[in-house]
Amino acid sequence: MNPIVLVLLPTLLGLGVGLRRLRPHAQVVLVGTALVVSALAFAHAMLPSPELWLGDYVRSDATSRLFLALINPIFLGISAYVASRLTATPTLHAGLGRFVGLALVFLGASNAVVLGNHLLVQWMALEITTLVVAPLIVRPGVASSRLASWRYLLFSSVGLSLVLLGFICLGRAMEASGHEPSFFIDRLPGLGAVAAGPWGKSGLALVILGLGTKLGLAPMYTWLPEAYDEAPPAVTALLGAVQFNAALVLLFRVVQVYRPSNAALVTNELLILGLGSMVVSAISIIATRNMKRLIAYGAINHAGVIAIGLAIGKGTTYGVLIYVISNAFIKAILFLTAGKIKAHYRTKDTREISGLIKDLPYSGVFLLVGTLALLGFPPFGSFFGELLILSALVSSGHLYVFSIFCVVITITFVATGRTIFPMIWGAPKKVQTWPEQTFLAGSPKIAFLVVLVVLGLYIPPSISGLLERVAASLEGS
Amino acid sequence: MSPLSLALLGALVIPLFVATWRMSLFGLALQGLIMAALAYPGLQPMSSAESWLSIFDLALVRGLLAPLALYTVLRAQGAPSRNDVISANLFSWTLALGTVLAGFNFSEALVSEAGEQQTLVAVAVAGFLLGFLVLANATTPFSQMTAVLRIENSIALLELSGGQHSPFGLQLGMLAIFVATIGFFRWYLATLETSEGQLEAAPDSLTL
Repeated sequence: MNPIVLVLLPTLLGLGVGLRRLRPHAQVVLVGTALVVSALAFAHAMLPSPELWLGDYVRSDATSRLFLALINPIFLGISAYVASRLTATPTLHAGLGRFVGLALVFLGASNAVVLGNHLLVQWMALEITTLVVAPLIVRPGVASSRLASWRYLLFSSVGLSLVLLGFICLGRAMEASGHEPSFFIDRLPGLGAVAAGPWGKSGLALVILGLGTKLGLAPMYTWLPEAYDEAPPAVTALLGAVQFNAALVLLFRVVQVYRPSNAALVTNELLILGLGSMVVSAISIIATRNMKRLIAYGAINHAGVIAIGLAIGKGTTYGVLIYVISNAFIKAILFLTAGKIKAHYRTKDTREISGLIKDLPYSGVFLLVGTLALLGFPPFGSFFGELLILSALVSSGHLYVFSIFCVVITITFVATGRTIFPMIWGAPKKVQTWPEQTFLAGSPKIAFLVVLVVLGLYIPPSISGLLERVAASLEGS
Repeated sequence: MSPLSLALLGALVIPLFVATWRMSLFGLALQGLIMAALAYPGLQPMSSAESWLSIFDLALVRGLLAPLALYTVLRAQGAPSRNDVISANLFSWTLALGTVLAGFNFSEALVSEAGEQQTLVAVAVAGFLLGFLVLANATTPFSQMTAVLRIENSIALLELSGGQHSPFGLQLGMLAIFVATIGFFRWYLATLETSEGQLEAAPDSLTL
């Protein structure tokens, strides 16, 4: 199967939803497309196929296979959540056509980032995901969401401008060292030495800083809590679990290209961004009383852990990948659950929410389990991934990073628990009658939860093999 | 330094000291048009679609379309003419001039041979840093948009100063994204100004 189908199918159907004839069937189109694309992505990840397609612009290697098999099922889960919300609240159908159209184009562009074999093509696809998701952050009639949407677009535009400038500098570095400038990834390995000059160093620093902005890493992270907080839950999940991974793939590609011949090239930049993000998130978690922002700061913490793991490289990359996969499912579970809780309590203030386990049992359990996974408890994949990263930090002699990491993670644990656990187990503050929570409505989150637990206990050999191949490419071997 | 490079530097610096939104947009328009004039000799004999697209991008899109798109919104809103791009004080002005000097110094590290290429890189780096200075000072969406467009123009200039030319398809894609971004800027500029002060209307249960 030509993997370009995974780009074209959702994009064309997304554009097609704009047509009057398809609009009444938007819900079916959304879930049906997500289902078909997920099945195709999974099949593509497991079955052998040629590596390069479409004039070498499309690449189907271990990295793209892994991330296709990750983001498409998550998109399917989000689609199922949207369908369940539509069943419960039929008035939501009014804005559905616009949501479905943009969300499907977003999926197509995300798949294009993952499949791209050309850095500029990937950059363009990432920019498209930004442009189509920005209007989705806006809630009709809510001025603060419009402002959050603008800030998201502003920071993303600046971040992606930095990335583009970085690529141009890297092109100039190739020219300066007598190489033909090219942005085809498969033709770039071995150019690590090229990045040692002033053009190359500036270029790589700009790319890392720009992608750090897109991933919500400090110092340019302020858009993230605001956008995650203001966006509707399904859109927050798209941002946190799908777009985050698309941006991460672009960062992985840069590391894969430049690490083999110069292992230490991006280490310091990633370490500074990673540790800075962890510290910022810990302080913010202590200060915030907003449920969605708290989870958003937790997401910044996770991005920091991923950056640190990626910075160390040797020995950590397998753990980083487990952590990345877990992180995607955790964010999807928590943001969708937070949306449900917020919709019922009509507040984001954590002090106003109490006794969830009695009031909203499913949501209470999801919030509990999601928080435990967020904090890196066993048996979740995040625990396993964090353990591997920590042990690699010690074995590679980065003891000062290890120490700061442990202190910050402990503060994060205490601050998060102090806020979240009373929400779950505290005495209900208000007597309320909730509508019945159906199993079907919770099924996407249950599926995500199963994957999270399985990742911590047993990884099937086929997935493990894929992870090992991606890890090896990130370590430069 | 050629007259065009000097003019471009002027188009980058002068709007910082003349605090009106019309001057900011005029500066952006000038940047696009001067970049087109700088690029034109290198694109001769204008026989390829890539060359025409480059000129279209620089002269029409960056030089006319982008400033005009924002101009029409501000004019329709009757925006007050004053718009501080950077704070109007001696410290900010010194910082701006220092930024230009820093850009020129940094360009010497990037391009060791003195000449027109080094000047172009210097102007691009100075423009890029000034864009960030404007962004750091910006408090209104319009100023933030101006800063982003300054940064985008500097990137285009840096691309221009090198020998790299992307294939037509890629160039077209990037131009389309730039045009779409301008469209979004226009939309936000129109709606953010009018939506300020609105009360939260949509209950959370009515959002997906």
